[in-house]
Amino acid sequence: MTSTPLAETNEQDELLPHLARIKEARLTILREMRKLVVGQEEALNQILIGMFAGGHLMLQGPPGTAKTLVIVSLAKVMNLDFKRIQFTPDLMPSDISGTEILEQDQTTGHRVTKFVAGPVFCNLVMADEINRTPPKTQAGLLEVMQERQVTIGGQTYPLPKPFYVMATQISMEQEGTYPLPEAQQDRFMLSIMMNYLTDDQEIEVVRHSTGSTRVVLERVIEGAELLEFTGYVRRVTLPPQIGQFIVDLTCATRPSVAGCPDFVKDYVSWGAGLRASQNIALASKSAAALEGRSVVTIADVRKVIMPVLRHRIGLSFRAEVDRVSIEDLIGKIVAITPTPQGA
Amino acid sequence: MATETTAEPALAPEQEGQVIEMSAEDAIAAISQGKEKILHEVRKVIVGQNQVVEDVITTFFAGGHCLITGVPGLAKTLLISSLGRALDLKFRRVQFTPDLMPADITGTEVLEEDRTTGTRNMKFRPGPVFTNILLADEINRTPPKTQAALLEAMQEHQVTVSGVTYALEEPFFVLATQNPIEQEGTYPLPEIQQDRFMFSLIIDYLPKEQELEVVNSTTSVNVQDVAKCIDGYTLMLYQEIVRQTPVAEPIIRYAVELTARSRPGEKDAPQFIKDYVSWGASIRGSHYLILGAKARAVLSGRPYVTIKDVQSVAAAVLRHRIVTNFRAESEGINSEEIIRRLQETVSPPKSGL
Repeated sequence: MTSTPLAETNEQDELLPHLARIKEARLTILREMRKLVVGQEEALNQILIGMFAGGHLMLQGPPGTAKTLVIVSLAKVMNLDFKRIQFTPDLMPSDISGTEILEQDQTTGHRVTKFVAGPVFCNLVMADEINRTPPKTQAGLLEVMQERQVTIGGQTYPLPKPFYVMATQISMEQEGTYPLPEAQQDRFMLSIMMNYLTDDQEIEVVRHSTGSTRVVLERVIEGAELLEFTGYVRRVTLPPQIGQFIVDLTCATRPSVAGCPDFVKDYVSWGAGLRASQNIALASKSAAALEGRSVVTIADVRKVIMPVLRHRIGLSFRAEVDRVSIEDLIGKIVAITPTPQGA
Repeated sequence: MATETTAEPALAPEQEGQVIEMSAEDAIAAISQGKEKILHEVRKVIVGQNQVVEDVITTFFAGGHCLITGVPGLAKTLLISSLGRALDLKFRRVQFTPDLMPADITGTEVLEEDRTTGTRNMKFRPGPVFTNILLADEINRTPPKTQAALLEAMQEHQVTVSGVTYALEEPFFVLATQNPIEQEGTYPLPEIQQDRFMFSLIIDYLPKEQELEVVNSTTSVNVQDVAKCIDGYTLMLYQEIVRQTPVAEPIIRYAVELTARSRPGEKDAPQFIKDYVSWGASIRGSHYLILGAKARAVLSGRPYVTIKDVQSVAAAVLRHRIVTNFRAESEGINSEEIIRRLQETVSPPKSGL
């Protein structure tokens, strides 16, 4: 913030070649993914925005919308060490983070405790149906997500880098689910919606999946490279008027704040917190970087508003009665927030 | 009920030699400088929330626990962990959930084999409560038995597992957070348990310009590190100095009156208390008004307590100790408003302290 315009220009010049690499990486990743995944354009772009920003992601949508396929394929293409955890009602925190076992030393015969690392020790964890597990186990995962380390028996074990959690949830209406408390949903950078394919796309999938061609995915980038990219994303410039737009937008979702629109007071029971502003800013930077640009534009912000805010706003009972969806509400808030001049 | 003379932290024998002979004035100057240093470090990572930062530091120097109410995502964890780092104290966070058990906080016994003798015996594996600062996140999500286990540890500074008592590390602070929204499936802390907290603080959204500042600093590369200012041992010495600060009789009388007038059953209670309050503050109210005022005085470099010091902690001390009734709720009067009216009603001593 303190650097002179000249220094800033130099920094931008230095940054641009790296951003060109990021753009190239996006194109090659998407090209590989296209071999297997049909449609889901928007979701794929949002997933890349989240991953290049170093965030954890929540994938939403009905069963059979290729959530697992997308995650598994991404792990292959990015050469990330991948583990899938099926969350069940009887899963324990130690099933995720690891546990200490008593082991006999072959040479001396003494028994010693030894740490057996849980499935969380990898680069990409798919937490499948996270809301089927009781709260303590959910909290165990979310703590690991936040701290990127596991503490057991007074010992701290750092997780590998990069580290991503991609979680899926089953529909809340089903019995035997434990909805994630709102404070814990907040730990996911983006909530990405995967929808049913169009008829044409579905025909294409069926043709592929019932045929005999086997697709081999190539690795196109390495985990270490991805980690390096997340550093460059943070160096993208956020112009002050766009920062202001982000904060204006987030503040407009809070029914308790003076001056919020009337429909927000009616339909929102709780608004988006500080993390929403932070994540819109960071995700916008990532969106700009993925297109090889060093300055965030309003179009970048618009791309990420929905996935950042979707899980951070609670609708009121009245919204339910009036059948106002979260997407409707966010759309309305975006529409009334004044766009900055010249951006 | 702790009085001002009990609960002195026991100093470890090997540390006794470190006690620096210092006049009260020098000590107070050192404390207020120490606080400035802490503030300076915390300001590197925390934007705004001045009142909350100030109040949490006050409880650290007074040796009390804090209850913090606020919506998620306001950087409560960052605020508290940064204070922990500035004070060179160990910090642990526990997310409270409906299925958390007392042993998840206090610790459990495990079977272990002695390497030299080959015999097996039970060994205590300490839980997260064995730390200096414990952030109990969303404490009202956990059932009463687990809440009680934490509150016992807070009060006694020790835990008992399978009949054996283990002392906690000193200093020991609990900062518990409550989420005011999503009341479904929560277990509100009973009044008597809220009483264990010295301060109840409210944390709110930042003003827009500060939120923008946070967004800019947290999404770019420069990461500021918090330097250590004071260690736990020194903090305990400072707590002692806070307790030794003299308070004039009329000021104690004022604090006691403020607390006593909040009780609707007493004959001197003002009409608005009788109308709107179902439960007034206990003697812990007076105790913490004075202890908090002492800490405020010392932290601002003064060796004496003024009425202003008492007034500046009144809301934080009394907020959770005054329970309003249904009528207050229907008329939109909260405990904040009651405290404001109490301060108007109870006249401060005339000497102008």
